[in-house]
Amino acid sequence: MIITMLTGGGEEQIESLENAARRHTQAGDVFRRLLNNKLGMIGLCIVIVLLFLTIFSGVVTKFPYEEQDFGNRFQFPDPVHIMGTDNFGRDIWSRLVYGGRISLLVAVISVAISLTCGVILGSVAGYFGGKVDITIMRILDILMAIPGLLMAIAVSAMLGSGPVKTAMAISISGIPASARLIRSTVMSIKSNEYVEAAVATGSTNRRVIFRHILPNVIAPIIVNSTLGIGGNIMAISGLSFIGLGVQPPTPEWGSILSSGRPYLRDFWPMIVFPSLFIMLTLFAFNLLGDALRDALDPKLKK
Amino acid sequence: MNLLEIKDLSIHYVTKEGTFKSVNHVNLELEEGETIGLVGETGAGKTTTALGILRLLQSPPAKIVSGEILFKGTDLLKVSEEEMQKIRGNDIAMIFQDPMTALNPIMRVGDQITEVIELHNDCTHEEARKRMRNMLELVGINVERAREFPHQFSGGMKQRVVIAMALACNPHLLIADEPTTALDVTIQAQVLEMMNELKEKLGTSMILITHDLGIVASNCDKVAIMYAGEIVEYGSLEQIFHHISHPYTEGLFNSIPSLDKDVDRLKPIKGLMPDPSALPEGCKFNPRCQYCTEKCRTTEPPLYEIQPGHLVRCLRYGEEGQ
Repeated sequence: MIITMLTGGGEEQIESLENAARRHTQAGDVFRRLLNNKLGMIGLCIVIVLLFLTIFSGVVTKFPYEEQDFGNRFQFPDPVHIMGTDNFGRDIWSRLVYGGRISLLVAVISVAISLTCGVILGSVAGYFGGKVDITIMRILDILMAIPGLLMAIAVSAMLGSGPVKTAMAISISGIPASARLIRSTVMSIKSNEYVEAAVATGSTNRRVIFRHILPNVIAPIIVNSTLGIGGNIMAISGLSFIGLGVQPPTPEWGSILSSGRPYLRDFWPMIVFPSLFIMLTLFAFNLLGDALRDALDPKLKK
Repeated sequence: MNLLEIKDLSIHYVTKEGTFKSVNHVNLELEEGETIGLVGETGAGKTTTALGILRLLQSPPAKIVSGEILFKGTDLLKVSEEEMQKIRGNDIAMIFQDPMTALNPIMRVGDQITEVIELHNDCTHEEARKRMRNMLELVGINVERAREFPHQFSGGMKQRVVIAMALACNPHLLIADEPTTALDVTIQAQVLEMMNELKEKLGTSMILITHDLGIVASNCDKVAIMYAGEIVEYGSLEQIFHHISHPYTEGLFNSIPSLDKDVDRLKPIKGLMPDPSALPEGCKFNPRCQYCTEKCRTTEPPLYEIQPGHLVRCLRYGEEGQ
């Protein structure tokens, strides 16, 4: 009796066992491994705080970012202006929090654009090789021959200023580098036997690229994009500094930093606080990127 | 009708450094349910032949110069790439040499098997998963392990997964490219035994590529010995093992140490395989052959049928036959 019950219920039992197992999804596993990484969690917390500040800027600031108060220029931090005021008497805290919107948004958009183009061009070039590869890579080589910042300056001079246009200008100079990275990774993954095995089981090219190659390229993509966000924040500030990026009075970390440069000797808050914001952001994204890379690698699973 | 018929297949690798004649005028026939062993040294063109059947060779540099590959009467070299994709994995499946690298490291093994099933069958995801579980059971893997990743499996278990993947769509022809080379001897025996069982259960034909004559003896119905891209001896298992005819086959058998004699040194075949970009004139084996004559250096030997179904590419049999 017991034996028949055991064998009879075999199929269902196996099904339920497997369903129980499936509740641990891939994303869930990744998230759990991320939670175990202390440095990664610090990074994630900083990023969340930054996002919170930039989204709810109106709530966390007492002054509008463009309000000038000439009676209160160069105020050092005090309970009213917690980070002091700048050369026009504007509240630095307000300007930094609102500026985060622009900096983060433009950085994320430009990384997204350059990465999308890079993944498409790089995986096509790396996977198909031959003439396709040569054509794509030589065109990108021409782009790469022009220094990144010079390229961004030229493009934004052509397009004009503004957050979206700045994002486009910066992303174009980022395409060749990310395409190169993706291409080389795709090429090394392509030579693995499991890709050949996937072709041997009748998979189409598209399926091989999307199911078997790109998921294996995800680690360099993530690391590259987190580092890219940091680099792009710098590039935006550079453009704003020479007057091509985001125009005042719209606040932006880089432009706040550069506008404080003349007063560096006598008034530190205009330099230290924006630098702190930029540094913390880069630091947080780098920690998060590293942690994500580790979490995404199933081989590191305990 | 034969399931697979290869006629006069020649595959060359055309590079800037020269043309490498990897496979030359190969003929093979395989009936339903039969196993043929493809034996030869490294570089004899065994894998190139196998990849050629599935049209998996990277071109360029590989170029199929001549020949026909008839699978159930259709020439695989003439069908479109889309049709070929339907044949791969469904009608003809392949087991690769190294199970360590033949599985995608970031996909669960269950998903990898399910993917093959879904690719070739019109079925729901649930049906495919059910079939995947049956396949895992068939190759002796606990179904709960379907959600594990390849690195959590041992080498032998991985090869079982690879075999389950290859057999998931009931292929008519299975090409096994040295399926046990990367495994240790005890696991080899298990895997081979399992493959044989499954083959008989499912009625699959098989091309078994190996350089291990012991594996051939216990698994194959027919044997083809390859040397420098040519088939030098071809026949049933009995004919090859009991009437060793070609000097190269003789050399292969002599290089296996005997169990009952006390020998200090192995007896390898002297010399090396010729460079496929500069094959010797006449018989390809003549520089290493102990029976080599003047004629061998100038005349290319044809295949002589010394017994019904037993073919040998050696001039010695031509003279005897006349």
